[in-house]
Amino acid sequence: MGEKPGSVLIIGGGVAGIQAALDLGNMGIRVHLAERAPSIGGRMAQLDKTFPTNDCSICILSPKMADCSRHPNITLHTLSEVTNVLGQAGSFKVSVRKRARFVKEKDCINCGACSAKCPVKVPDEFDAGLRTRGAIYLYYLQGIPPVMTIDKEHCLYLTRGICRLCETVCPRNAIDYEQQDEELVLDVGAIVVATGFDPFDPSVITQYGYKRIANVITSLEYERLICASGPTGGHLKRPSDGGHVEKIAFIQCVGSRDLYHNPYCSSVCCMHATKEAILAHEHDPNVSSYIFYMDLRAAGKGFQKYVARAERDYNISYIKGRVASITKDGDENPIIIYEDVDSSEPRKMAVDLAILATSLVPRNGVEGLAKILAVETDEFGFLKTDPFSPLNTTRPGVFACGCCREPVDIPECVLQASGAAAKAAEVLRR
Amino acid sequence: MSGELVEGSDARIGVFVCHCGTNIGGFLDVPDLVEYSRRLPNVVYSKDNLYTCSDTGLTEIKNAIKENELNRVVVAACTPRTHEPLFRSVCREEGLNPYLFEFVNIRDQCSWVHMREGEAATEKAKDLIRMGVARATLLKPQEEIEIDVTQCTMVIGGGVAGMTCSLSLANQGFDVKLIERESQLGGLLNSLHKLYPNNEDASRLVSKLKGDVKKNKRIDVLISTTVSNIEGFVGNYDVTVKHGGEDEHYKVGTIVVATGAEVYRPEGLYGYDGENVVTQLELEQLLRDGGLEANSVVMIQCVGSRDRDRPYCSKICCMNALKNAMIIKEVNPESQVYILYRDIQTHGTRYEEHYREARENGVVFLKYSPERQPVVEDGTVRVFDELLGEELILPFDLVVLSAAMVAHPDVKDLAQMLKVPVDESGFFLEAHVKLRPVDFATDGLFLCGCARWPCDIGESISQAFAAASRSSVILSAGRVVAEPIISFVDEEECSGCGLCEMNCPFKAIRVEETERGRIAKVIEASCKGCGMCGAGCPQRAISMKHFSDEQLVAQINALTGGGL
Amino acid sequence: MNSEEGFEPVILGFLCNWCSYAGADLAGVSRFQYPPNVRVMRVMCSARVDPTFVLEAFTQGLDGVLVFGCHPGDCHYMTGNYQTERRMVMTQKILREVGLSPERLLVDWVSAAEGERFASLVSKFTEKIRELGPLGSEAVFEKEELVRRLKASSDALADDRLRWLVGREKELIEEGNVFGERLPQEEFDHVMLESIRREYEKNRILLSLGDGALTVKEMAGRVGLSTREVLKNLVVMEGEGLVTVSHIEGSSPKYIKTGG
Repeated sequence: MGEKPGSVLIIGGGVAGIQAALDLGNMGIRVHLAERAPSIGGRMAQLDKTFPTNDCSICILSPKMADCSRHPNITLHTLSEVTNVLGQAGSFKVSVRKRARFVKEKDCINCGACSAKCPVKVPDEFDAGLRTRGAIYLYYLQGIPPVMTIDKEHCLYLTRGICRLCETVCPRNAIDYEQQDEELVLDVGAIVVATGFDPFDPSVITQYGYKRIANVITSLEYERLICASGPTGGHLKRPSDGGHVEKIAFIQCVGSRDLYHNPYCSSVCCMHATKEAILAHEHDPNVSSYIFYMDLRAAGKGFQKYVARAERDYNISYIKGRVASITKDGDENPIIIYEDVDSSEPRKMAVDLAILATSLVPRNGVEGLAKILAVETDEFGFLKTDPFSPLNTTRPGVFACGCCREPVDIPECVLQASGAAAKAAEVLRR
Repeated sequence: MSGELVEGSDARIGVFVCHCGTNIGGFLDVPDLVEYSRRLPNVVYSKDNLYTCSDTGLTEIKNAIKENELNRVVVAACTPRTHEPLFRSVCREEGLNPYLFEFVNIRDQCSWVHMREGEAATEKAKDLIRMGVARATLLKPQEEIEIDVTQCTMVIGGGVAGMTCSLSLANQGFDVKLIERESQLGGLLNSLHKLYPNNEDASRLVSKLKGDVKKNKRIDVLISTTVSNIEGFVGNYDVTVKHGGEDEHYKVGTIVVATGAEVYRPEGLYGYDGENVVTQLELEQLLRDGGLEANSVVMIQCVGSRDRDRPYCSKICCMNALKNAMIIKEVNPESQVYILYRDIQTHGTRYEEHYREARENGVVFLKYSPERQPVVEDGTVRVFDELLGEELILPFDLVVLSAAMVAHPDVKDLAQMLKVPVDESGFFLEAHVKLRPVDFATDGLFLCGCARWPCDIGESISQAFAAASRSSVILSAGRVVAEPIISFVDEEECSGCGLCEMNCPFKAIRVEETERGRIAKVIEASCKGCGMCGAGCPQRAISMKHFSDEQLVAQINALTGGGL
Repeated sequence: MNSEEGFEPVILGFLCNWCSYAGADLAGVSRFQYPPNVRVMRVMCSARVDPTFVLEAFTQGLDGVLVFGCHPGDCHYMTGNYQTERRMVMTQKILREVGLSPERLLVDWVSAAEGERFASLVSKFTEKIRELGPLGSEAVFEKEELVRRLKASSDALADDRLRWLVGREKELIEEGNVFGERLPQEEFDHVMLESIRREYEKNRILLSLGDGALTVKEMAGRVGLSTREVLKNLVVMEGEGLVTVSHIEGSSPKYIKTGG
């Protein structure tokens, strides 16, 4: 399937990829948007609300996703990954593998009969492992394309040749176990990388007790808990016993600004912790939150005001000091052990829930992608860019935007994506 | 047969009721709905489909339009938010204006939420279909309005953001008018020495940009020029500029605001005198000229920022201070440099290491609290170190104040000309803080760089490219297509009171002088179709296309069947 | 107390395309069940809802009306929902003047992600209306009088004065009048309530005149106001050219509507 040169490949279907696709598509340029997951949306779809406006995340993202899927110039390739890149700026030849969904996209109407019957239970990735899903599943409610997917690693039929329950209940005969991976070759003039980030796994910071102490969770897990479409319907419940949460500790810089793990600053955590504390208070005005920080980074537009309001109106206290460790008591309450800056003495605080603001690291697999694209990464694994050419990678014609470059917030992702679109357009229009 | 037709008894409506497999069919009595629909006024055809959105269903609609000379189509199915565009396309393909189509939601808002209500759910669906048919009867064909876009952008401000944006647009093949009020391009860059994070020469960067701009034939640079008036709307702006006392007029399609910001002069703060107590900007000049002779330098952060007058953080001052501290140390390794801070803003992957490096090179960081500000006395600075819990007295040769970045005082004039808002700190306000960070709410206007918010060079450059992209989207289309869901004014009824203009968030309706007096006129290209003006007009002179008062009231009447 | 046996309310709902309509759809996708009493009309923005539409619904006998928009700050059209709130608050006030419970008009905010909230709000509202009873059960007058009163309030809301006042609310409070004087919210509310009462009474009087000619005493009897109140209104209405004296009967002037 050859395409005329004059199109752009965007790798990654999160908010950055979507924005770049829309700008380019609206400029009249053909776009291929390749996304590894079963649906576009990325990390932003997993968030409940976004700072500093506390907009509902998926509500502001959905219209853009819908625009993308209906756009005459944009072709969505989900379950897709780039496997090879040849050529140079102006004419790249890119090989893309589109993994089999085992569900016919045209026929699936998302009725849910199949997933209700699937006997398999595996942790649900979108809900940060907080609940289980079947082997046939909907990646998330508002996903696009709005169709089911079969996870071939866990499907009983695809691994062991048994079951096929989904097929029997599907009213549209949309299940197709015979589907094969497809190989596409795309001729594009420019490539935009927008692969986003993964949250750092804080289990390696053993003194914080993640995975050992049930009520120590990550910020992404918290976002799913407090999200109306998440595993608890937006009710903030303690993981250990489903109990009420009234006192929350937010531990900042978990894995960031840390010479043993990630020496850099993840930029967004001071703000998202503030937001998360505000949301907890909105759910229940009895909640009080304590944010343990090193330097409060609220330099963006409207951010300082947001933090001031948080402190004033939402029962949020900012405590400067690195948390040394977290233990627990007999009721599974996390105990935060920190240094009090005024007295320089260690202090303890018992809370109902402790939330670790984990570092933002490059997406799993980006190293391999960078090799395929023949672009350099920096010492942290992010795509290397120059401070005054922030959207250029080390290879002409390949641009980067959003968190694949370094951790940034959503407005920054969006504007970098638009910027990358301009750069791609420059290449095509030379 | 384009449905070029009148409402009322000439409507020939086809109603298609979808089973959606069992999603609707399993809960509502679809055959009953089909029967019921057939008996409604103006309905000449009605049918059920298993999946109206399937190829079979779509073909059935097309055939029905042809064979029954339908001029209105009503589909009762899932929700318009999934398939309205699809069915509209189908109508369009059969020669029926796509706005003569009506969607009735009987799944997401009926069968799926009343799964155990039995008959009541079907009765609700009947009401909804009846309402939909009543509305369909009154629908009018709508044409999308196309307006040509002038293929040129005006960039106001010739600093790093303005120049970068202009170059990107020019490289994409568009003409640019770059307006700069000073006698040379470069903006703040002209006053800087080295740039963080890599200590690049400011003069090298600015020369490169100026050179590229000069070479580029598509960019018309107008220095010593200011903007004096802006009229028009997206794709068709008329800008008047003043140059040497003369007025010049330009027609452009889009405008980018890149007017930057300035450094606050901290008069009255910390003993500022421009000699022994200077700003970082003044320090840059000293370093550039090689005129720095100081063994002990005390830098104070957050001067004029994060205070009562300017509660925001100016973002760039911490890195700037670090950079300058390191330069001082390099020039004079024996020197002592103190940085008095509140929070060190070294975000991202590249800046944190500079903080570490500065500490490793002997720069001393002392945290102070806003309640106990440092005091600059004769030759010493007294500061209470929050972390140590002690007051320290620091001797100095030079105090450097990291002063706030503030909006230009004349930003309000430009804002008024553009009819765009500024926030309480004087920075321009974008359309949506998260999703449209470089767009103004008014179509065709964009912003980037420090005019939007304090940012460093790398960020200005990203934003400049972003503004170029957004501008390019409009210019590339060549024309602006205005959605036909817009307001319209009954000019006989309009009294010119201006309430609509006052409240419209998009400045899409304006009162103009005409021979008949002051009348509100809709700027079709800018109107977003919210209906705020219509529902508020004191004379009830404004209504909406496709959501007219008659159509909406007809739906209410259809529901109640007439009244008490 | 007011529920009749087996009374099923009929409720009209206005949902905005970008938030509340999407939230309602999400309720469907998630299968959150709610009672089938609401009939939804989609509008692009909640600000499209003219207060007269709400009155139209009540005039035709619907038991409740709900208007859902985006959460403050989230409106797709920036400030639409602020206008909606002001207009609907005004409408609730006039409903109270009519003698109906203002709780029959619900204004609330539902985002596109709040399927459960939508279902919950609708369920609660349906229950509330069920408690209130059919339209007018809480009133002490009969149906014809209710219809007259609703018509008078609809006319009041269609007329320019109230529309002008509510449209300028934001400006008056935030920026001030022509002298730059800002109006505190309570003062505005006071002015609004007075204006609502005046316009409502005026329209009740006009309606009572119909096509005929009435004396002040006859009008007072029809409308249930004192003669002094009627006269006060008439003076203003005469000045506005809405009524005029047609002839004198005995010693009492007979008023008619001017223009018709």
